[in-house]
Amino acid sequence: MLMHMLDQRLQILLSAEQRRRLEGEAKRQGKSVASLVRAAIDAHYRAGAAGERGRALDAIASMKGAAPSPDELNRLVEAERDAQAP
Amino acid sequence: MTFFVDANVVLYAASRGEYRGPSLAILGAIAGGDAEGQTSVAVIEEVWHIERSGRAGPLDGLAEHAHSLFAPVLAVTDEVIHTALGLHAGDLGTNDRVHAATCIVNGISVIVTADRGFDAVPALRRIDPLDERALAPLLGGP
Repeated sequence: MLMHMLDQRLQILLSAEQRRRLEGEAKRQGKSVASLVRAAIDAHYRAGAAGERGRALDAIASMKGAAPSPDELNRLVEAERDAQAP
Repeated sequence: MTFFVDANVVLYAASRGEYRGPSLAILGAIAGGDAEGQTSVAVIEEVWHIERSGRAGPLDGLAEHAHSLFAPVLAVTDEVIHTALGLHAGDLGTNDRVHAATCIVNGISVIVTADRGFDAVPALRRIDPLDERALAPLLGGP
């Protein structure tokens, strides 16, 4: 399982033209510049990411759970945490 | 527009009921790159707790699959906890306060969830998965 959290800050230098292009694309897509950079990294350096997400979705769609109401879910989480407490 | 996905959406996507279709549509749009839905470490942990409890039916592997689908997930940082502790949000539970604070710290103003408790957070707009009209723009629709 790949573990990814957004906790790494990276400062990079771009040309004015690259910055214009990136900001223009972000505006066009209604997304943040940061999310576009992350997506580009995933697309270029993590081949198979889209396939992995598709397989995850298929697996979730095949499940036959019986999740209760949001309030009951919150109580389940609390109960499970209590049960694991030392 | 970036939006936050609560644990119940993941759980309902894997469960029978009226929420299953819309919840799967949300996850499908995210998996396909058509929607900018994000979630957090805390949500994945919540899903994992429920999966392991065995009290919401057979959900083996759900937390792992959810993580694969959403990775990279948002971190719960010192700033998130600080914001959660200072949140004025009525009876909202502690987990949900952490989710709300994660949204606020990351500049996310929309949360997709069936949990009405989030209506008490002024900084957030809650969209119920059953609200097709509100959901459509988030999923690349009109």
